[in-house]
Amino acid sequence: MTNSSNLASRQKQEKTTRRTIFIISLLPLTLIIAVTVALVVRSWPILEQYSLWELLSGTVWKPMRGQFGFWPFIAGTFWVTAVGVILAVPPCLLTALYLAEYARATTRVIIKPLLDVLAAIPSVVYGVWGVIVIVPFVGDVLRPALSEWLGFILLFASNQPTGYSILSGGIVLAVMISPFIIAVTYEVLMTAPQDWRLGSLGLGATRWQTIRYIIFRQTLPGMIAGIVLGTSRAFGETMAVMMVVGNVAQVPRSVFDAAYPLPALIANNYGEMMSIPLYDAALLGAALILLVIVLIFNLASTLVLQRLLGRNWV
Amino acid sequence: MFKTLRLTLAIMMAIALLLQACSPKPADSQSDELQGNISISGAFALYPMMTRWAEEFQRLHPKVTFDISAGGAGKGMTDAVSGAVDIGMVSRGIKPEEEAQGAYGVAVTKDAVFPVVNAKNPVAAEILAQGISQENFIKIYITGEITTWGQVVGKPEITDEIHVYTRSDAAGAPEMWAKFTGDKTQEDLLGIGVNADPGLLEAVLKDPLGIGYNNLGYAFELASGNPVAGVLIAPIDLNNDGKADDDERIETMPEAIQAVATGKYPSPPARPLNVVTKDKPTGVVQTFILWILTDGQAFVGEGGYVQLTPEQLAESLEKVK
Repeated sequence: MTNSSNLASRQKQEKTTRRTIFIISLLPLTLIIAVTVALVVRSWPILEQYSLWELLSGTVWKPMRGQFGFWPFIAGTFWVTAVGVILAVPPCLLTALYLAEYARATTRVIIKPLLDVLAAIPSVVYGVWGVIVIVPFVGDVLRPALSEWLGFILLFASNQPTGYSILSGGIVLAVMISPFIIAVTYEVLMTAPQDWRLGSLGLGATRWQTIRYIIFRQTLPGMIAGIVLGTSRAFGETMAVMMVVGNVAQVPRSVFDAAYPLPALIANNYGEMMSIPLYDAALLGAALILLVIVLIFNLASTLVLQRLLGRNWV
Repeated sequence: MFKTLRLTLAIMMAIALLLQACSPKPADSQSDELQGNISISGAFALYPMMTRWAEEFQRLHPKVTFDISAGGAGKGMTDAVSGAVDIGMVSRGIKPEEEAQGAYGVAVTKDAVFPVVNAKNPVAAEILAQGISQENFIKIYITGEITTWGQVVGKPEITDEIHVYTRSDAAGAPEMWAKFTGDKTQEDLLGIGVNADPGLLEAVLKDPLGIGYNNLGYAFELASGNPVAGVLIAPIDLNNDGKADDDERIETMPEAIQAVATGKYPSPPARPLNVVTKDKPTGVVQTFILWILTDGQAFVGEGGYVQLTPEQLAESLEKVK
């Protein structure tokens, strides 16, 4: 074999490899498009009969009478996700900071795998735990206490007597998304060069000052990316939330109200109600709305991050 | 979950076959022996009964095989109409839209939905003594006019709130319960939505102020015949006389079965359980359904199901023949 032919074959191989990888990397993109197209096609009957505004802002869900208002479900999705993320973020950031900046290597070796195990627990197990522990805790302890002290704030008003509520859903969700937020934030913190820490400490700064003024500022975009990932997961989490959130098709007013997020609507009814006209289309419409919400959320957060930094971070 | 059910079933069948292999072969020398595969899917309410029937039928006709999965009444209906399975199990009435698509339903046994309350309910004694009228159930589950247990038993001084629970998943039991509460549909039922029959029972079990409804097989313990420990079956005061008469009070499973079979328990919430085929059944499927309606009825009682009345049975047979 001559040198030139060897070079040619190597170049050819390089080209083939590049093309193959390119085509394969296009697959996820085509998948998103395929899913969207399928959902639009299947939900078309309902989009045709009702105006988009009517569907999105309608508050009455009575498919048997032809009333398809998605607003209670959209609102429910946002409420549960917001409560979950608000509860999860502060402890997650602090845990990641501790692990990355303070903990000794042995502590890390023990805690890190444990956190990863949390991510591997099946959703339905979290759901059962929520029903057994969180729902009674919220119903018998948090609800009476908070609504008595803070009931004048409508957010904490108690309008229904059980623990099946947005707060229960939010707590379960917070526990479920924590491993993801912690893992990403921790990895981001670990990418901060050791020189920064040594330099800052050498100048006489304390560890906390180092974290606050050096590390935190530099790694903020990465941390936000971690939170975005957790939030995206929270939007779509179905089983565990469905088991504790009460599933009442109403627009919630308080964290102690029951809610009915979009994924729960789909899971509870898909495959069951296909014989009712438009129900099938309505459920796939719900899936489409959920997909669009998550896409918009991801796009928006990417744009915000880029604007913040003026460069491509995520 | 369905996979587990299938697996359990597969193991059960394997054991059944094994036992059969060990037992002496019946002297069966028919030349055209019945054979074929019957696939079945649908309601959880009918699943245990169907596996029992399949087991017995297979004992008679070893060359007939079964593939049974549970996935809810709606799935059974969808599968049967689309031709994905031979028989769909449907635990509710068959809607005209479904009949238009070729759904051919036959009642094979009966079941009923019972209202349940927690045994530690503050007015438990009064409920057992007085019963709850249909009108009051409507006020609890549909209009929301009644919100305290005191109102239910006519003691306004008791102000404990009623914690109303309902099913979140589309199913036969809530459809029947809604029908009972003023000919409504599941979407009209008030209350916190809990997933599946056992989930609803669990919610009432844990909540002294809770009220819910369960299928016969879930409200009672099969072994003892008593209501599941911790819950009471609320008597339905049918004649509105303000007390639970002997007919209306249901304390054990045999009593419940008796009340449903004789029609003393109202329908709805008692309901026929149907098998659905795409158009009129033929061949081995027809033979199987005919067997269910004749010899198969012998196994109905042991599973906690209720026999159809002779007239209903005759009607079903007429439809299949």
